[in-house]
Amino acid sequence: MNTKMFFVAALVALTSNVAKADGATLYAEKTCIACHGKEGKKPLTAAYPKIAGQNAAYLEQQMLDIQSGARANGSSAAMKGVMHLVSATEIKELAQYLSKLK
Amino acid sequence: MKNILVLALSLALAPAICFAGGPPAAVQAGIESKDYKWNAQEGEKIEALKLKGNPKEGKEGYEVCGACHLPSGAGRPDGTFPQLAGQHTTVLIKQMADIRAGLRDNPTMYPFAKELTDAQELAHVASYIESLCIPVDHGKYEGPDAEKQIVDGKAMYEKECIECHKANGEGVKEKFYPVLAGQHYKYLLRQMTEIRDGKRRNANPDMVAIIKKYDNSQLVAISAYQASLSMPGSMCKASAATKPSKKK
Repeated sequence: MNTKMFFVAALVALTSNVAKADGATLYAEKTCIACHGKEGKKPLTAAYPKIAGQNAAYLEQQMLDIQSGARANGSSAAMKGVMHLVSATEIKELAQYLSKLK
Repeated sequence: MKNILVLALSLALAPAICFAGGPPAAVQAGIESKDYKWNAQEGEKIEALKLKGNPKEGKEGYEVCGACHLPSGAGRPDGTFPQLAGQHTTVLIKQMADIRAGLRDNPTMYPFAKELTDAQELAHVASYIESLCIPVDHGKYEGPDAEKQIVDGKAMYEKECIECHKANGEGVKEKFYPVLAGQHYKYLLRQMTEIRDGKRRNANPDMVAIIKKYDNSQLVAISAYQASLSMPGSMCKASAATKPSKKK
């Protein structure tokens, strides 16, 4: 019982640790930065949104919807092309990171 | 007559496209059209091709490209973004112009192609990319049967692809035939499939005629072989490529 608990705790610690370090790195590595600019403040064109400081819940839902195809309007076709690069966990992490930017 | 109509229509639609301020891109008739002429020598493409590019001057302009294609030009081994380093300037300029003109559909790339509008800058950036060594840690065919796929692919490649793309995948600069060596397996497979199926609308009809007869499994083998090609003298040193250089 104790060992099982330990493993669960270790796993939680490990995953949250990995996730924590990742926000800014994910933002660059998954190419978000190419269109939304440094820290989500300088989009490539006026047709793309500034995303720094946006609500995390909203960001997460939009990313999930663009990934699944549920959202296909506006410029989302441009973003759909890279959404296979991120997992649901990474999307959550990105949303958290972006929401905290000012 | 038909051409005049198309011209009039596109002129009428031009303001709407401009005011939209972003994607989706304008669409130009491509391989699906009877009047399609591959690599028509017109417009901004000619201008950029005529200008002399300086790799040193193109380095700064490449920064925006590097966000997806990486500073090394390596792209992503999963094939999402192609490897660009060492590619012919002619090929780079043509593809950029085709994407911008709505002849090659790529919604992700389109706004970037639209941003780089200065012919001289395009020539500089293209020459910078061409000057880069080709990374050797690109995506290859991974499977227990890799050896067999490469052997099968080689036989097919040497039969019909080699004439234009050459023995080491060098392509032909003056003819706009791309370098294949160092390209990601998955990108090669996707492009060949799309060219065969008419989805890459700026494709060369001569290539479409050849590739039409190949089925999916044959394209897998050909891609596996292409991804194994190496151009002596143009590749990066293996040690430099495997070094974990980017740690932030």
